[in-house]
Amino acid sequence: MAFQILLNFFLAFLWMFLQVSFTSTTFFVGYLIGLIVIYGMRRFFSTRFYMHRVYAVIYLTMLFFKELIMANIDVLKVVLQPKLAIKPGIFALETELESDWEITLLANLITLTPGTLVVDVSDDNKTLYIHAIDIADVQDSIESIKNTFEKAIMEVSR
Amino acid sequence: MRTNDVILQTVSKIVFFIIILFSIHLFFAGHYNPGGGFIGGLLTSGAIVLLLLAYDIKTVAKGFPINYITLIGIGLLFAVGTSAGALLFNVPFLTHAYDYFYLPLLGKTSLHTAVLFDTGVYLVVIGVTMTIIQTIGESE
Repeated sequence: MAFQILLNFFLAFLWMFLQVSFTSTTFFVGYLIGLIVIYGMRRFFSTRFYMHRVYAVIYLTMLFFKELIMANIDVLKVVLQPKLAIKPGIFALETELESDWEITLLANLITLTPGTLVVDVSDDNKTLYIHAIDIADVQDSIESIKNTFEKAIMEVSR
Repeated sequence: MRTNDVILQTVSKIVFFIIILFSIHLFFAGHYNPGGGFIGGLLTSGAIVLLLLAYDIKTVAKGFPINYITLIGIGLLFAVGTSAGALLFNVPFLTHAYDYFYLPLLGKTSLHTAVLFDTGVYLVVIGVTMTIIQTIGESE
């Protein structure tokens, strides 16, 4: 991925030299042309076209903001309830993520979203222990975390 | 015996971009400087031929799943379309028009319908060259 970005920069500079115009506009036009050419050549690279990953990062960010807003509304509801009808608990989440930064990112995203909080990570980095405000539907929360955050993170790092 | 072409393949993968960028530059330079659709198209197909030399026909065909014969048709359609478009404005066949536009990024740019005609030439040249080379290459 880094290689493709570097190549794209190099192509933008090459375009500037070809045009004999050293402005940021020419650089940007060259970058766009380079992007199109790299897109055409994407099957010759060992990694994916890097714009997929840029898109995945943007998607993950938007997902995070959406979940953040939802989480705070959920907590607001719990706080404003006259009767405390919650049942807190801790459950384990098996994760397929491997590298350190992926797990850190997942843990932070879980902590910042709907009524869940990462308490601990197992020594082999395979299991996350999560405290939930309402444990009633553990399977559901595992599924939703797996389907949203873990998938989105894997989309970024794969 | 098949030798390991890894150096040739890696270098041509990078050089491909330089050639392609230069061919696009030549294509757009055509109006005010030496260049144009023909040389641009030839240089583009030259870049693809370089990949053909480094890899084999199958790999390149998988990399660019383009039917070059269709490309000739599209190019001819571009040329005929821009030429015939003149008839809609009650001017003779092949009359071109241009005007100055303010585009984002590019600033004041003159857009000329001859560029569309040139695109047709560009596509036909790529299509013809690649068809010739691939047809010869495929026959045993």
